[in-house]
Amino acid sequence: MSAVMTIEELRRGLSWRKNLDKVFVVVGLLILMSCLGLLALLFLDLVRDGASRFGWDFLTQFPSRKAERAGILSAWVGTSMIMLVTAIVALPVGVAAAIYLEEYAPKNWFTGVIEINVTNLAGVPSIVYGLLALGLFVYKFGFGQSVLAAGLTLALLILPIIIVGTREALRAVPKAIREAAYGLGATRWEVTKDHVLPYSTGGILTGLILGLSRAIGETAPIITIGALSFIAFLPDSPISGEFPFVNFAWLRSEFTAMPIQIFNWVSRPDQAFQQNAAAAAAILLGMTLAMNAVAIWIRYRFRKKINW
Amino acid sequence: MNTNVVEKAATPKLSIAMEERKALRANPAKAVAEKLDFWYGTNQALKNINLVIPENQVTALIGPSGCGKSTFLRCFNRMHDLQADTRYSGSIMLHPESVNLVGKDVDPIEVRMRIGMVFQKPNPFPKTVFENVAYGLRLRGFSNRTDLAERVEKALRGAAIWDEVKDRLTDSALALSGGQMQRLCIARALATEPEILLFDEPTSALDPIATAKIEELITELRQRVTILIVTHNMQQAARVSDFTAFMYLGELVEVDATSKIFTNPSKKATEDYITGRYG
Amino acid sequence: MDAAVMQASDPTEPHTSSTVDQSVAGLRMHALEMGALVIEQVAGAVKSLVERDATLAQVVLARESRVDEYEKQLDRDSLTFIALQQPVANDLRLARAIVRIGRELERAGDEAKKIARFALSLDKANDGDPVLAVGRQLRHMAALSGSMLRNAVRAADEMDPGLARSVLERDAELDAEFAAALRLVMSYVLQDHRFLRPTIDTIFALKGLERIGDHATNIAEQVLYMMGQDRQQADAA
Repeated sequence: MSAVMTIEELRRGLSWRKNLDKVFVVVGLLILMSCLGLLALLFLDLVRDGASRFGWDFLTQFPSRKAERAGILSAWVGTSMIMLVTAIVALPVGVAAAIYLEEYAPKNWFTGVIEINVTNLAGVPSIVYGLLALGLFVYKFGFGQSVLAAGLTLALLILPIIIVGTREALRAVPKAIREAAYGLGATRWEVTKDHVLPYSTGGILTGLILGLSRAIGETAPIITIGALSFIAFLPDSPISGEFPFVNFAWLRSEFTAMPIQIFNWVSRPDQAFQQNAAAAAAILLGMTLAMNAVAIWIRYRFRKKINW
Repeated sequence: MNTNVVEKAATPKLSIAMEERKALRANPAKAVAEKLDFWYGTNQALKNINLVIPENQVTALIGPSGCGKSTFLRCFNRMHDLQADTRYSGSIMLHPESVNLVGKDVDPIEVRMRIGMVFQKPNPFPKTVFENVAYGLRLRGFSNRTDLAERVEKALRGAAIWDEVKDRLTDSALALSGGQMQRLCIARALATEPEILLFDEPTSALDPIATAKIEELITELRQRVTILIVTHNMQQAARVSDFTAFMYLGELVEVDATSKIFTNPSKKATEDYITGRYG
Repeated sequence: MDAAVMQASDPTEPHTSSTVDQSVAGLRMHALEMGALVIEQVAGAVKSLVERDATLAQVVLARESRVDEYEKQLDRDSLTFIALQQPVANDLRLARAIVRIGRELERAGDEAKKIARFALSLDKANDGDPVLAVGRQLRHMAALSGSMLRNAVRAADEMDPGLARSVLERDAELDAEFAAALRLVMSYVLQDHRFLRPTIDTIFALKGLERIGDHATNIAEQVLYMMGQDRQQADAA
């Protein structure tokens, strides 16, 4: 009985397949480099344009009609406060929803409907969130055009991201660990609290940071609910010198945010303001990259501790 | 050679198989499965199982893949309840209180606190060695440090692993070897002093030396706890168990003293399976 | 000298599994007990023959059933051990050797029984009875085969290959004794044909003792087999 193919045939076919393999590696690398390259170019361009503006003054001054004296203090403080509210609201709600869907919900049609809609929510245009927030938070609940409203809006926006990210992290916990815990007589909540949650913390935090990275640049919703573009004051400090040392007045305060400020400056004809915009954009990009770096670092630390 | 030696050698004992059969009657039953059926959805996985699990003995369940032995094992600690659409019918009475383990009015969590389980692939929690063993105790409300330390040590000794980990109690459990991890899982299950200890193919993922150590451990443990073990390795069942039950397609074909099953089983189906004439 | 041959393998070394240790110890203990019993039977049978002690002969006959029981039990226990513990190498050789030793001991016990029966059938010996004539040879052979049996059983107990080999060596001596006794007895018959029947019986008794020696030799061979040193290797070494 003759062989399926001769050695020469084998070798010829093999070299053809290996070459195809190499071609793919090269093509893939090229595509990757171009994308990263574009991003790097953009960043460098911004940095170059705004180079003259970088400095402590820029960060600590309020916007002004004079471009040289304009700073982003109110903008980045506003952005930070909004991010804080967003995180504080989105994290518990998102994680709880994900835990319910993943661990508790019975697998029936109703749960299926919920799951589909969660994914759909991620695709809803952000302006729609803005409109929703305007009607609900600003007017109906009476929060006004405040940091609180903005934070809640963005929290809604990134909720699907948190839920999906958390579910993935929960799913990554091996079934064997859950079985072992159940086998010892743990209730569902004990299994979730003692085993599933601690070991998905890394994934959950990564999801949160990803959500915040998206939220930090969202302009449409916060414009809709009325972020001001020229603020020469800061919201009240959350820390005060007297009891109870923490106040919440800042939540109701009017605000501005980085994207707003950038948009505002870009729309001015004055070249100097363009430089401001570039500088602010670079800083915004830097903030986003920094947040992602934090996410990666957290994930790395958690992966080292827990090793499936 | 003096005559004393000869006189002392009294009439030799009766056949061992008969002796073990007597043990079946002599040992109190720890659990009795009666007319047990089990369904996954519409698929009936267990049909009319009637089996006595004697106390402080090792009972092995053998049979080809899909015969229902793991399914039957998991009825004892209600692991099936974690999945949707499962149904029990019949009973598994736990003695001496005569509690029906699969009864609708019996809390599965309570069942799992009284029946321990060791799984196929060693699955220690990604915590320290100490915390692994202490977890079951913490669930039951033990929080006093000295108390916990004592019980953890007792469990680790019972699992024949104390000497190997006594200096590494605060190290991660995942740093242990496969055989050590499985013994740690046994210690974890022992810590809560279960009434029955279930083993689901406990050594199928381990090397021969680790396997031998765990088989030896199981032989020792039976003095303290009733053991039910599922294994697809018949030779392991022969080495380790006192009673062997052969299952096929969800039914119990034959159960008897291990020495009888492996020398002269009553049913042809059993003999065909253990001699490798099956399928 | 091949190192592998010199290295004796000891099946009595402990295993991880205590069940296997117990089974092995149980098999060896029963074999030893049986050996002790058979040695007593042989000694008793010969003594009853030589000293014409009918009571002793009865005792030997009564105990014969115990010997059979031992053999059956060794057979059963060994089967169970093999079925349940799947022994290999030296453990497996031990299981098979123990069964064979049991069989040899049972047959030796049978020979003792026949000798005892012969002793019983002698109401009194007339002078000139061939049995008396070969009395010295009988005692000699009895001593020799008895000692061979004792040493074979001890070799099994102590796992001593040297002792086992010494038993093998004495087989020739026993055969020579038997041949000499045979010649002596035959000469008797030639003298007086009245003594034909008792002569035949006496020859059977002598043959029985020779066979007991053979069984002892076989036991010694099994000891060497158990320890992985078969007879051929023993001869070569």
